[in-house]
Amino acid sequence: MDSDIILVLVIGTALAFDFTNGFHDTANVVATSISTGAARPQVAIGFAALLNFVGAFISISVAATVAKDVVDAEVITPTIVFAGLIGAIAWNLITWYFGLPSSSSHALIGGVVGSAVAAVGFDAVIADGVIGKVLIPAVVAPILAFLVAGIAIGISYRVVGKQRPGIVSRGYRYGQIVSGGLLALAHGTNDAQKTMGIITLALIANGTLAAESDPPFWVIASAATAIALGTYSGGWRIIKTTGTRIIKMDAAQGFSAQGAGAAVILASTHFGFPLSTTHVINGGVMGSGAAKRLSAVRWGVAGNIFVAWLLTLPAAAAIGALTYGVTRIFGTGALGPVLVTLMALSLVAAAFTRRAQRGAPVEAAGA
Amino acid sequence: MIATIVHTDELLQTIAASVIAGVGVTFFFSLGIWGAGQFTELSRGERPVAAAAAAAVAAAALLCVAGAVVTGIIVMTHK
Repeated sequence: MDSDIILVLVIGTALAFDFTNGFHDTANVVATSISTGAARPQVAIGFAALLNFVGAFISISVAATVAKDVVDAEVITPTIVFAGLIGAIAWNLITWYFGLPSSSSHALIGGVVGSAVAAVGFDAVIADGVIGKVLIPAVVAPILAFLVAGIAIGISYRVVGKQRPGIVSRGYRYGQIVSGGLLALAHGTNDAQKTMGIITLALIANGTLAAESDPPFWVIASAATAIALGTYSGGWRIIKTTGTRIIKMDAAQGFSAQGAGAAVILASTHFGFPLSTTHVINGGVMGSGAAKRLSAVRWGVAGNIFVAWLLTLPAAAAIGALTYGVTRIFGTGALGPVLVTLMALSLVAAAFTRRAQRGAPVEAAGA
Repeated sequence: MIATIVHTDELLQTIAASVIAGVGVTFFFSLGIWGAGQFTELSRGERPVAAAAAAAVAAAALLCVAGAVVTGIIVMTHK
């Protein structure tokens, strides 16, 4: 009975995390299309939500990595997964509250690793998987997106340089409908899978699924729905804030940035690398800006992203470990996770209320 | 040992696929816009043969883009 209650809490918390992931990342996916006038906000967000949903069904490679290559599924319990999720959500909310850009993906993996270490020790962590499939790609992917977008925009300026500006702008705006769609598809397929992987890990830990199992269809469908609903419902305030922070791009730069981001995320997803899509998209935007003029890029923002990247894994891991410790005060049953859930819900409600009362801008803290 | 941990082959394939897809699609799409722009200019200048050639370049380039997008999605779904 206790394990079933914890499992329900884990699934609910994971889907809530997935919802906030879509909520936060809407701006990353659609901001370039909106800022260049390629699509109206409402259309862009609806389109992104739909393609996020579709993208979640494309592949399960990343889900398999999260479920099998980060921590040893045989020693993991649903309470460990629960504590890891709380660590990820808490770090996301902290960074959101203070307006720091951060990665939900890294928070999720950091939270689970931290709670697993607190519960079982370092033996629970698959170091090869964390280094080879998470840390190295996390460093390579944004740099790759930066370079691809920079090369792409350089080539495109050379090809269309002598054309009339009108036809060039119109052409790239139409192109952004495709590149933005691909980016939304890529986002859905990489990010929704992290939640699928976590739920699958919890199901394996609970004995509901055999070890090495792939996510069942209902897990895929519910994760797809959660990220799509988050994308559709969340973006408005975040987009307004993000839109003012992004450099003024022309349509060609928007197309290059989105194309580079989509290419990197889709290729990485194919090989099962769980990326920070926020870092990749920002890398693409910076690359397309830097190729035109280095000073066009707000390097301070890039520095903040780098600092947040450094902090996210250890901070989420620490919160995950702490959360596991708190749940164990109340024993190994469902009481600890239930109380932690109630405390977390109270803190979330307090944070949202305080933020709303202050009327401060809401910042993106994406995937 | 390091190569095993880092998944060098998969990482290099990811880098190659990203560069080819990201740069390639942008190049062909830009070529499509160039062709469309040339077609408009040449049509106004009453040079129908050259305009037709530019239109053919634009169409071929955009077909390449469409092909790349479809291929990418097929590769993703057949993992």
